[in-house]
Order: sequence, then structure tokens, then C-alpha cells
Amino acid sequence: MPKMILQKLQLSLPVNTQLWRLIGCCLLLAIVMVATGCGETSQKSSQQLIEQLIGKKPPDPIPVGILFSQTGSMSISETQLKHVVIQAIDEINAAGGVLGRKLVPVIEDGRTREDIFAKRAKELVEEHKVPVIFGGWRSVDRKAMIPIVEKADALLFYPLQYEGNESSRNVFYGGLTPNQQILPALDWFMSSEGGNRSRVYLIGSDYVFPRTANYIVRKYLEGKGMQVVGESYVPFDHKDFTTHYQAILDSKADLILSTINGQSNIAFFREYVLQGLDPQATPIFATSIGEAGLRSIPATITTGHYAAWSFFQSLQSPLARDFVARFQAEYGADRPVHDPMESAYTQVYLWREAVEKAGSLSAADVRSVLEKNVSFEGPGGPVKIDPKNHHTFKRLRIGRVLPNQQFEILYESPEQLQPEPYPAFAFPGWSCDWTAGGLQSGPPVELAN
Amino acid sequence: MLDWIYTISSFRFALLTCGFFIAFSWLGTILARPILRTFVKQRDSVNDLVGYILSCFGVFYGLLLGLLAVAAYQNFRDVENVVTSEASALSALVTDVSAYPDPERTNLIWNLRDYTRDLLKIAWPNQQKGIVSKEGDFTLDAFHERLIRFEPSTAGQEIMHAETLKQYNQFLEKRQQRVLAVSTSIPKIMWIVVLVGALMNITLVWLFDMRLMSHLFLGGMLSSFLGMMIFLIASMDNPFRGEVSISAEPFAQIHTRLMEE
Repeated sequence: MPKMILQKLQLSLPVNTQLWRLIGCCLLLAIVMVATGCGETSQKSSQQLIEQLIGKKPPDPIPVGILFSQTGSMSISETQLKHVVIQAIDEINAAGGVLGRKLVPVIEDGRTREDIFAKRAKELVEEHKVPVIFGGWRSVDRKAMIPIVEKADALLFYPLQYEGNESSRNVFYGGLTPNQQILPALDWFMSSEGGNRSRVYLIGSDYVFPRTANYIVRKYLEGKGMQVVGESYVPFDHKDFTTHYQAILDSKADLILSTINGQSNIAFFREYVLQGLDPQATPIFATSIGEAGLRSIPATITTGHYAAWSFFQSLQSPLARDFVARFQAEYGADRPVHDPMESAYTQVYLWREAVEKAGSLSAADVRSVLEKNVSFEGPGGPVKIDPKNHHTFKRLRIGRVLPNQQFEILYESPEQLQPEPYPAFAFPGWSCDWTAGGLQSGPPVELAN
Repeated sequence: MLDWIYTISSFRFALLTCGFFIAFSWLGTILARPILRTFVKQRDSVNDLVGYILSCFGVFYGLLLGLLAVAAYQNFRDVENVVTSEASALSALVTDVSAYPDPERTNLIWNLRDYTRDLLKIAWPNQQKGIVSKEGDFTLDAFHERLIRFEPSTAGQEIMHAETLKQYNQFLEKRQQRVLAVSTSIPKIMWIVVLVGALMNITLVWLFDMRLMSHLFLGGMLSSFLGMMIFLIASMDNPFRGEVSISAEPFAQIHTRLMEE
């Protein structure tokens, strides 16, 4: 049978027919061109042909910017946030991606320098065309990125607790503001549960967060049952706290509110023990120390002190336990999980929810959805964005340090606390409502005491 | 030139390559034979002449293919050795930093753990696509930063620290060699010569004067062998790409060890 076909085929190709010769030559030429990839067009069409043969081409992935310090003094803290953002992206991709497209993390290093943060943010939005950046820890780095994302109309998801007194339509703030963290914690310390404390000493590193937070605290405590009995600031990496403790002892404070950041905390806690202070009588309430920070300080000198966050590793809800277990399975069981990590992780999901609901990646569409109460059940509990100021409704938890460098949770707010970046008692005339009128500026505020 | 070949299985790639050359050969035999016969029509010793030219051509082309195959295999082995050396250097580095006092030890171990994790989950899959990732650079920069910030407090620590720095430099050297190997491959121009040469070989076979079935059989044999050779060279050309590629297993073992540290 095949022989007959071939014979027939051979017969059907009359040697003298010019048309058959022409067809044959054209066919061979086309094969040679496709095989050798001569010319862009033939190469491209052969690629498309092959793609059709081997399966449908997946839709283009969505580039997602991740900008944390992976080098420099902040790298030890910020690298953890990069890890959880990647973890969330991996989980989202495994579940099918966003709008049917995979997310591709575009990771950059801010190098603990605000100028590098600005430069890398510009590269991410202009060269890599990312619609969103997850990044930032220090306020200076966030402030350096804001003009870039505003100009490009991209979105920035900032995961840290911070001082407030700021609002940008292109930024979504995932951490606690002072009215969600420090102020309710002070209320708790004033209650019988918190020890009926009435004399607080404020000490912090000398930069924008402690200065602003302490200003808000001073204003908040006016006329309340707690008195600010002293206030001092130290440079970064300050190691000698002898004189500061002398001032604390002289002031007869029964609570130390510490906004000290970084390595200074080791010397600060060590000096506390050397001065013979007792955590029962005069505990330290540290706003910037979580499980990761405790790791670098000997447990014997931190036990019994307090911190206030929305998430603690010791939280026993199924979602929290699952989140911690998944992270530690990926990065090691000795890695602590702390509040900013939970916040960074949750923000990726909030963005995903908004993009899915908007059906678009455009900043305007995503923002518009987020301003209509998108919520997500995160490891630390349900969270939602305040449409007015783009900050996040979150629960507050107060924990006491245990000898195993974890926190015993002593208090949990009954519901999510509303964020207020411009508390009226501290910033009169200032307000923000992106759904009506935007940012309203009041008179300039002098932060210094 | 044709990156998609690394996205399909070796079996499918071999079938495609051989199938393409056989199809080209048979199509030409059926369609072009009548045309080509007009050039050599009525010449008695046409088969001798074509056979002579084909054997001359075959020697040069065979040499080219043979040398390319050996070079591709040698390159594959060299890159495999580089990967093994890099993994060994990394393993030694893990041992060195394990002796540091805490918290430096933990931070350095975490850096190396992150590096191997990113290598296995991001950099290796990327280099299998011919892309060099920079995630590892960030982690190693942080590792180096911590290493040089460490101030030894005893004579023993000084010796250990000097040895770690030396080991780190050796590791970086091997890593750089691996990264460079990601983009090393047979130049595009050489591939064009190989492919055009293969097609010319087949074209010469069309000129033989013989029965169609015999022509198809002989042409098919030659084409499938050419296809197999080209498949072999292309498979080994990029040592990190495709099914025939260097495994990340040595790094996976180190990562398992680091997770337990």
C-alpha cells in the first residue's frame, strides 16, 4: 500500500511541470529559513509555532517589587521581611497567582541608606514596571520612597509600626500607629491589671519615631493619671546609660517607655540590671523590641519586661501557628517570627485581594477597592484598611518577656483598633480622608519638649 | 537561538530533531529530486560523482561535529567540577563559621542558609533558563559585611577568622566561575554552520540516482544520525539547561545540614 502511494505520488509529480518545481523550492527554502532562524520574523513565528505545539504559552507574569535592606546595619531585621513577602508570593503563585498570572518578585537591596532606597524604588517602578513595592523599615527610607511611587503612581506597602503624622495616597501602612500601640498600652499600665503605674520616663533613640511618639505621649497623658517624669534621647549605638539611669532613679519612675532602637538595647538592658532595678517595680515597656530583637540580648536581663504588638510568635490561634510553622519549615526552626513579619506577609494578601476584586493592576483601581473595606484574615487576626488614611485596623496585644525569649500575652484588645495618624490632641487641625478632601494641613507642630 | 528546546524532555527533543531532519530529507527526496535530476540528467557516473563529493564533505563536517561534541562534553564536565568545588568550599565555610561565638555564629549560619535556599529555589531554576540571579549577591554581601565586622578576641579566634576569610574567597572564586558558565555556550554563528552543513549533507543525498524507496531509506538513516548528533551537542551545550543538566544536589545536601545547624 505505501509503495502504491509513493508510486502514485511520484507519478503525480510530472518532471516538466514548472509549478511543482516552484512549490518544491519554496517549501525547502521555508524549511531552511525556519531551521536556521534566518530573520527575526521567521524565528518568532517558528517559536510561536513550537509554543503551540508544546502547549499554550502562560500569560505574562506580574513583577512585584521587594525593597528591604539586605546589607547594612538594618539587614538582620529587614531580611526577615523579604523572606515572608517571598513566602506569601510563593503561596499565592501555588494557588494560581493573581488574575491568573504568576507573581515574579523583583528583589532589590536598600543597603540601609535612604538615597539607595530612593534609587532602587525608581528602578523598580520605571525599569521593571512594578505596580507595587513591598518594602521599607526605617521612616527615612519610607519617606525617600514616597515621592517616587507618587510620581509613578505605583503603590507602596509599608509594614512597620511607626510614628504617624504622615499620609500618602500611594502608601498603605500595615503597622500600628501610636494610637494603636503606645497609647492603649499606657492605658493598660495605668489600670490595675498593668500595675496602676503613674510615673513614666521616656527614653529613645534620637530620630523621628521616638521624638514624634514621645510628643504624642506627652500630649495624650496631659490630664490623665500618668505623669511624664523625664525624657531623654541617645544616639544610635549608644552604649553608656549610667547617667540616664541616674535620671530615671531620681525621677522615681514606675515605668520606662523605651523607644530605643538597635544595638543600644543590649547596653540599656544590661545597665538596668547593674543599677539593681526590678521589673516588677519599674518595668521597661519597649516599643521596638520583638522576638527578633530579644535574640541578641541575654534572656536573663530581659525577662519580665513588656512589649506591645499586634502579633507575637506565641499567639496560639491556628492561623498564627500555621504561619510560624510554615516560615520555620522554610527558613529554620531557630528563626523567630515577629510582628513586622506578620504585617509584611498580610499586606501581600491584602494587595492580592484588592487586585482580584479590581480586576486590574492599576494603582487607581487597586486603591479604589482598598478604600472600600477590603479585609483579610491574617495570622494576627482580621485586618482591614481604613479608607480614610490607608492605615490598617489591627488588634493590640501586650506581652511580657519570658525566659525563653518569647512573650506571654497578657492583654488583647477586644476588637481591631482604628488607626489615627493625626490624633487631634497632638496635631490640631490636621486630618486625612482620601475618600473626601484628602489631607487637611493644620498649624505646624513643634515636637520638642 | 532556540531556547525552547530546553523546556521539553530529552526524548521529545531527540524525536523532534531526528524527525525534522528525516522530514526534510524525505520531503526533498520526493519534491526536489525531479528538479535536481535535471542538473545531472543523462550523466552516466552521477552516483560516483555525488558519492565522492559527499564523502569529502562528510569528512570535514564529521570532524566539525565530532570536535563540537567533545568540546560540549568537556565543558559539561568542567562546569560540573566547578559546581562540586563550589559546594565543597561552601561546606567548609559552614564548618568554619559554626565555630564563631554567638550571635555572630547564628547570623552567619542564617546568611549561608538563606544563600543556599535562594540558590536552590531561585538562582538554580533561573540559571536553568539561562538567567543569572542577583539574590545570592545580596546575601553574600551581608555575610561578608558581618565577617569583616567580627573582631577576634583570642589568638584561636584570630586563626579561625583568617581561615574563614580565606575559605570565603575560595568559595567566591568558584561561585564566579559557575555564574560565568551560565551564559557560556556554542556561538550562534557556529550553530548556523552546523545546521546549514547538515542540510547541505542531506541535499547532496537528494542527487543520487536510485529507486525512491532506497533513496528514502538511505536519506532517512543519514538524517536521523545527523539529528542525533545535533541533539547530543545541543543537550550538553548549556550545562545548566534542559533535562541533561548539572544537578543542584550537592547544595541541597548543604542546605539540609544548615537547616539542622
